[in-house]
Amino acid sequence: MTTLGELRFLVVDDFATMRRIVRGLLKDMGCVRVEEAEDGVAALQTLRSQSFDFVVSDINMPNMNGFDLLKSIRADPGLKHLPVLMVTAEARKEDIVLAAQNGASGYIVKPFTKATLEEKVLKIVQKMPPRA
Amino acid sequence: MEHEDVRASQDPVAEADAAAVFQRLGAMTRQLHDALSELGVMPQLQQAAEGLPDARSRLNYVAEKTAAAAGKVLDAVDEAKALNAAVSALARDLAQRLDGTTSAPPSPQELVWVLRDIEQRAEQADARLTDIMLAQDFHDLTGQVVARVVTLANELEVSLVKLLVEVAPEQAAAAAPRRLDGPVVDPKGRSDVAVDQAQVDDLLASLGF
Repeated sequence: MTTLGELRFLVVDDFATMRRIVRGLLKDMGCVRVEEAEDGVAALQTLRSQSFDFVVSDINMPNMNGFDLLKSIRADPGLKHLPVLMVTAEARKEDIVLAAQNGASGYIVKPFTKATLEEKVLKIVQKMPPRA
Repeated sequence: MEHEDVRASQDPVAEADAAAVFQRLGAMTRQLHDALSELGVMPQLQQAAEGLPDARSRLNYVAEKTAAAAGKVLDAVDEAKALNAAVSALARDLAQRLDGTTSAPPSPQELVWVLRDIEQRAEQADARLTDIMLAQDFHDLTGQVVARVVTLANELEVSLVKLLVEVAPEQAAAAAPRRLDGPVVDPKGRSDVAVDQAQVDDLLASLGF
């Protein structure tokens, strides 16, 4: 199975504090390769120019929100394989269903615990094909 | 006696003036109401005004979240400081025993116990530091709520500006972008939101995801 230390994560959130929190929690889990982006536009640019294995994204962001980022990733042949874990304050059921229908790999509502993030990340990583 | 006579003679005049003012205000209010209705801005103003209680509850949410975060941080700091003090005491005692300052040097077994105790307390202190880090999520949650209140204030301002420039009531409604509400301030009585992670997981599982 792929180890967390091998994977490169992109954390997308318009609040720098939240990016730091997610980065810190991922680091505690052994994920040492973590980059950040402040909105969907910056995230897409980064994903298209560098190689990543996992995206953790907020939904409510300026310029391009998390739903549009998710759709863009799934529509891009070079990126559509990427796991995308939504971590968001949007708790309406229709938003949760919409994210799932558009290919989100998981959905976490804020505020969340370290244990929840760990559980969801590991669940997704366990389904990933072994790295070549 | 003389002053009372003067006051008695002034009262009817003041009363008449006050009555005239109230009548005039009443007429102006009626005119304003009729003008607003004719311009068609009453629904917009009503909608904006109805947003005010929502703005109040959102600001209360901000205050509550901020206070809760401060409490969590201070609790975690207290516990971490106590653990740190215990680690310092253990390390100091060990050092004094090893250099012969106090009692006899510790046996290898005692040394192992003390080091394991230090390790355990250090891990507990680290967990408290993680709690402090997680408590900072209030910044994100309250920031989104404040942004929503600013939007509400802007909507109210726009409605009032429209009134001032007497914009024609027939305006094509622009296609509304998807509304993102941010954190749920008060989930009581709502069936359209997931109130915790367990409900999110159940919803997704029920749909086969």
